[in-house]
Amino acid sequence: MENTSHLVLCVDDEVVGLRVRKILLERAGYQVLTAADGHSGLELFATHPVDAVVLDYSMPGMHGGEVAKKMRQTKPDVPILLLSAYVGLPAEVSALVDVYMTKGEGAPALLQNLCSMLSVPAASQSR
Amino acid sequence: MVLPVVALLLLASVLLWLIHGSNLAVGEIETSDQRIALATLIERLAVDEETGLRGYQATSDPRFLEPYHNAAAPMAQAVAQLRSMATATPVHLNAFEQQHQLWHQTFAEPLIDIIGAGGQTRDIDLNITGRARMDAMRAELDTIVNNSEQQRTVRIAAWKAQVRDVITALVLLALFIGLSIGLFTRDRLKAVSAAFRKSLDLQHSRAEALFRSEQQLRTTLASIGDGVIACDANGRIQMMNLVAQELTGWPEPEARDRPLEEVFHIVNETTREPSENPAAKVKRLNRIVGLANHTLLIRRDGSEIAIDDSGAPIRNEAGELTGVVMVFRDVTIERKTRAALLANEKLAVAGRLAATIAHEIHNPLDSVSNLLYLLQQGSDPEESKDFLRTAQSELARVTQISRAMLSLYRESKAPVPVDLKAMLEDLLLLMERRFHDLGVQVTTELPAEITVEGFPGELRQVFTNLIANAAEAAGPGGTVTVRVTPRPAGLDPSGRKLEPGALVEVIDNGPGIPPEVREHLFQPFFTTKGERGTGLGLWVSQGIIRKHAGILTLASHTDPADRGTTASVFLATKPTIDPGGD
Repeated sequence: MENTSHLVLCVDDEVVGLRVRKILLERAGYQVLTAADGHSGLELFATHPVDAVVLDYSMPGMHGGEVAKKMRQTKPDVPILLLSAYVGLPAEVSALVDVYMTKGEGAPALLQNLCSMLSVPAASQSR
Repeated sequence: MVLPVVALLLLASVLLWLIHGSNLAVGEIETSDQRIALATLIERLAVDEETGLRGYQATSDPRFLEPYHNAAAPMAQAVAQLRSMATATPVHLNAFEQQHQLWHQTFAEPLIDIIGAGGQTRDIDLNITGRARMDAMRAELDTIVNNSEQQRTVRIAAWKAQVRDVITALVLLALFIGLSIGLFTRDRLKAVSAAFRKSLDLQHSRAEALFRSEQQLRTTLASIGDGVIACDANGRIQMMNLVAQELTGWPEPEARDRPLEEVFHIVNETTREPSENPAAKVKRLNRIVGLANHTLLIRRDGSEIAIDDSGAPIRNEAGELTGVVMVFRDVTIERKTRAALLANEKLAVAGRLAATIAHEIHNPLDSVSNLLYLLQQGSDPEESKDFLRTAQSELARVTQISRAMLSLYRESKAPVPVDLKAMLEDLLLLMERRFHDLGVQVTTELPAEITVEGFPGELRQVFTNLIANAAEAAGPGGTVTVRVTPRPAGLDPSGRKLEPGALVEVIDNGPGIPPEVREHLFQPFFTTKGERGTGLGLWVSQGIIRKHAGILTLASHTDPADRGTTASVFLATKPTIDPGGD
């Protein structure tokens, strides 16, 4: 686990889940920004030099797919990891992001995915 | 028609004219006869005069002169008469008179004078003169008679010719009339024959049309996909089409004149009680009747098929019932299809719910697994305590959800008391995530202690469906209200009697359902959700509520000021469950 100080933006409407994920990522050496919905997530994404995004899919108002689309429009090079409690997301959504994983796969898998996503320079083209 | 009449009149007048001519001719002949008679009379009188004179001359007795004197007056009268009718003969008559006068003056008078004077009358000259005068007179009279006879002969010939003409005319007339009558009769006969032929043709064509229409009707009945049985007014079978023969197992010749119930033996599917004879029912109600649902037809060989049927009265022109026609069809396959559709919808509902549940469980599980990872990595006691507490509460959430899920598909065979408040709260908990995602606010008005009898799993399916529809309709920022109110026995707005029960209302403030969509809402496979819906939700819900002897209605407004949809479900406290209702 590289001890870099990448800035990761976590967007999730699950308060507990978001809090735990922030602690987990901070322990792993990342700087973490959190947002409870798509709109505030996009705001932080625009104003901060975010290196990677960990995005929840099902959220009120704007789902993860829409958030990812907007992020791609402004900063297409920032890698996005989509987390979802659902299985079988629409193909156009999973094609948009760099990594797509289901919640409950465990912390090691998340950290592994995030790390590999950040270590590839042209991350957006890896999909 | 006019021509023969005119010709007839013309001929009649010709005939009349001929007869008139003939009459004239006869008159003229009579005139000739009279003239001959008169001339003869005058001659006789002249002879009488001469005879009298001779007698007097011979005897000198004046008594012999009597004829001579007596002849004078009639002769004058006859001469006058003859003169009056004279035409071409005055010459001879004048000559006669002249000779007669001369005879008198030169012979008769002098002779009488001589005899009266007692003289001698043997003078030859005198007697010759007298005789000559008398001969001349006779000659004149003979001429008159001859002339008249000639005239008469001519006239008779003319009359005969006229009579011949008349006869010819009569014959012609008779021929003409005969011909006319013949022609006229022929004409009339022709007309009658034509009319007869026409009516015969009409009869023929009518009979043919009737035959054709009957054939058509027979063909239609024979090729119709449903079974058709026609009975007379006494319920005896008159006709069966092929499908009816196949479905009942009775060939038509054997079934004919048998009572309907013997061939068309139907029982209720669940109670197995014989259903009312449909012919009798139609007769009793005197209108079209759809027969009881869930009817089983027991075939001749004892096998059973599920049928759907209806009966209709056959009326004559006076509107009297003369028979009953039954139409029925095998719905076994339809039933199976329906059952398959219901199972499909159940699976779809379950599938959608499973996705929701997976989401609900995955979220806390994710937190728990992350917390465990953190604990594994090592942390200070304070932090560990906090992590454990959080993990515990997340697991409690999982348990709650799994409990709610467990009760969802626990199905009982018989209806059980269902606490509406508890059931709806469980449902809302499971659906919380969906409301959250949709951005819908849910409010409830759920009084405790409202219990109805029913099948909880099925009722949950209905309310899940209605609440999910409402949430989707309300959309982000919208609200859904779930309200339960007790309903005492009474009448509904349409005057139907309602048992005591509860009214569950699911109200959204969405855009409302457009009228053209509203009429299709309860049809199977109708969906406004594209691939996300099976189009069976409301159809199945309707079936479940019917089975519970309840009422499901939708009221909707698209008016922007007061928009939204209300789904109302009435459930009786102790319903008479209709097992075939779904």
